[in-house]
Amino acid sequence: MRQRLMAAALTALTAASALQAEEVQDTDSASARFFDLDEVVVTGVRVPKLLKDTPVQTRLITMKEIQRSDATDIQDLLTQEMPGLEFTYAMNQQTHLNFNGQGGQSVLFLVDGERMAGETMDDVDFSRLTMSNVDHIEIVKGASSALYGSNAGGGVINIITRKAVKPLRVAADARFGRHGDRRYNLSLTTRRGRVSNILTGHCHTTDNYDVRSAADPVTRVVTTIYGNRVANVTEQLGYTPVDGLKLTARAGFFYRQLKRVEDTPERYRDYTAGLRGEWQISDDDMLNVSYAFDQYDKSDYRRISGLDVRSYSNVNNSVRALYSHTFGDSRTLTAGADFMHDYMLNTKLSDPRRSQNSADVFAQYDRIIGEKWEAVGALRYDYFSDGGMSRVTPKVSVRYRPRHNVNIRAGYGMGFRAPTLKEKYYDFDMAGIWIVRGNPSLRPESSHNFTLSADYTEGNYHVTVSGYYNDVHNRIATGVPYYLPGDPHQLYLDYVNLRHYTVAGCEVALKGRWTNGLSASLTYAYTDEHLAEDRDGNTINNQYIPARPHSLTARADWEKTFREGYTLTASLNGRVLSSVINVEYRDYYDIAAGTVKVEYPAYTLWKLSVSQTLTRYIKVGLAVDNIFNYKPLYYYLNCPLTDGTAFMAGVSIDFY
Amino acid sequence: MPAAAILLSACEGILGGIYDEVPDETRPTVSGELYIDASDWEEWHYIDLPSLSDAVAADPDYNTSSAWQTYIIDMTRADEDDGSGRGIYTYWYDVFGEGISRREYRDFYPTAAQAEPERWTFAVHRNNVRTNGCTVAATRYGSLDELPDDDNYYKSLEFKGDEWNESDVWIDQDRMLLGIIGNQGSAVNTVLSSWLRIEIPPMPPSFTPDSRVFVIRLGDGTMGALQLADYQSAAGVKCCLSIKYRYPL
Repeated sequence: MRQRLMAAALTALTAASALQAEEVQDTDSASARFFDLDEVVVTGVRVPKLLKDTPVQTRLITMKEIQRSDATDIQDLLTQEMPGLEFTYAMNQQTHLNFNGQGGQSVLFLVDGERMAGETMDDVDFSRLTMSNVDHIEIVKGASSALYGSNAGGGVINIITRKAVKPLRVAADARFGRHGDRRYNLSLTTRRGRVSNILTGHCHTTDNYDVRSAADPVTRVVTTIYGNRVANVTEQLGYTPVDGLKLTARAGFFYRQLKRVEDTPERYRDYTAGLRGEWQISDDDMLNVSYAFDQYDKSDYRRISGLDVRSYSNVNNSVRALYSHTFGDSRTLTAGADFMHDYMLNTKLSDPRRSQNSADVFAQYDRIIGEKWEAVGALRYDYFSDGGMSRVTPKVSVRYRPRHNVNIRAGYGMGFRAPTLKEKYYDFDMAGIWIVRGNPSLRPESSHNFTLSADYTEGNYHVTVSGYYNDVHNRIATGVPYYLPGDPHQLYLDYVNLRHYTVAGCEVALKGRWTNGLSASLTYAYTDEHLAEDRDGNTINNQYIPARPHSLTARADWEKTFREGYTLTASLNGRVLSSVINVEYRDYYDIAAGTVKVEYPAYTLWKLSVSQTLTRYIKVGLAVDNIFNYKPLYYYLNCPLTDGTAFMAGVSIDFY
Repeated sequence: MPAAAILLSACEGILGGIYDEVPDETRPTVSGELYIDASDWEEWHYIDLPSLSDAVAADPDYNTSSAWQTYIIDMTRADEDDGSGRGIYTYWYDVFGEGISRREYRDFYPTAAQAEPERWTFAVHRNNVRTNGCTVAATRYGSLDELPDDDNYYKSLEFKGDEWNESDVWIDQDRMLLGIIGNQGSAVNTVLSSWLRIEIPPMPPSFTPDSRVFVIRLGDGTMGALQLADYQSAAGVKCCLSIKYRYPL
């Protein structure tokens, strides 16, 4: 009898435990769905992992978030979604990214894992990265040079494009706003048996318009906000000859025209092409090989003479191979190699035609240790032919899951950036102000980057807390302007390696999502960027305005389906940025006169948008950007380029 | 093999043919046209229309590319100020704020008079033009061929002579980043100088040409016509002036 009772008790206990485990599992699944934790990401370790399982903290921007933002390009999207990030402007309004204290040269932008050619003021052309056919975006902060090589010292932003899933899908949208804002997108997707095809087109135009600052600005201001005419066409053909082998061919053309001067518009063109093979050799083996071509050109069109004269061309030809093998369920070895030929034509170089080859090999070992631990280590060797430069970079990441709904991640990575051909061979007379000169003896920039993060999911809530510390050595930048002996009239500004400096920061992100259709998020970022000095301890001519210490983004979305075919969505999102102080020379021609602290003011911007899905296929939307009608008192180089409230209206058709 | 050839050619890019090559800077002599590289901040270039007309009449193949004379702007401080106002004026311009229309006087020092040839009709310095006692009027015509033969038309035009100026003839950009620019005190014909306007902001400056025909009336009462056809060199250097002319009218 006693044994029966014990057996019954054990059975009941087991059943209760199983029930509880099932409930936990159900709750986990719901939470994972709520917060997209079951989405597959690839950027952090270069092999597919669920977002909740990846040992490298990854910020995911989903397709739904992209669509709700109504962003035109990556600059538009990241401005809305990411605190600790700011797009500022150079004197002639070229865009520069500050990403957690890292400049554009230290943040690697990838499209489906491929690098982009071309730069202006150290940044890729963000208008190339349109959001019309993006599946999702993966953002990995901190050094990833051990997996991606040079330029990945500050982070990686990987844009993953949509794949052809449906037999036929036709999507088109149009949006209209102030200042001649007209945007059109078209996407045609087909899939028949083993063949798929995606054709996309994007066109966006905005006009120039003038803005007026108050009297006596303390530093440089913008007076005209330049519009663009952008066209972008991409074509991607997929073929699966046998199960497990997928071949993809792609091509693209991008064109942008900007009119700073009416009769000499600036033109930017880009040509991309690529071939990719993804072979699932067995359940445990995967091989990816790819070839990528990317050419970015700049030219000036002189209307009077009818000449379209090219001044810049950067051509990248890359070959990549990536192999991964899984040992059982817990160990994965990934190895790869890349080769790139980098060609540059730039009339501002001492010799306008330059090229170099770069090659690398890398390996990564990923091990899941029990149910709670996962560790991954990587090592990479990079070689650059110009100057025979080489570097080995390591990376280690650990994930610890003490409870089913808690993840703690820690990582160390070495960042690395080889000097570019521009930084080595530039020779440019900048409107008579000074001559900017390259420096062939530049050393590679390197950094030690430490990250720590924790995320916690409970029911309708998800919290992430993260921090980083980046110790940068030999940062490459323009240094202190100087005169040559015997020539008191001509200033020179050379590229130099700077004294080491640090950037540290943290971020807290809170997300909530409820079954009544309401969701909200609040993310705060703190960035402590210590301004760099040259090796003699002099304050340098800081080309770019440093990161704002405090920034916050907030978002609330509500969605309700009233009847089949009619869904109403309302979104409010905003950002708050603190002021920032930059140290600037009192007198650029007399460095001894010292520096002055210039404060760039705080601001906040909010956007309200409402959209209605009228049938299964048609959606109309209205948006009010800058709803509090914020107008900068002074249009400084890091102020938002707005002259007040802007209304936008759009319509989209998605047929599938 | 073809794939290898494509890859090899792609190393330095594709579709280079859609761009124009920068033509040879040496412009061919074109009858009725001058090409003057007036981009140097420290030079005046002098043209004498009657002499030019005589030379072309005597030799139809006359090389107009040498039909002007260049004189350096001497910025050496004079020992004494003769009270004429000749010299170097330093102004501060609100380059990064309201623009160069807002300016403040900062400094002056005297120099010798600007050297010039014995005979000249007009002189160019970047976007500035001055004349040798001439007056200038703007027409509504966009081509020299459209100019009417009717004398009454020219009588109806509003001619304007040179005016003294201390802040438009920019000769010293050493401290431009601070908005400090040195100017030569000089007479300037504002009507003819309007054929190329420089605006700051934006930065870098914008250049706005006016391609209308201008009529210049010389001291002896004869008239000529001038038109700025282009202001850039083949390499894109600003203030390299292609000037169409006709003299006498």
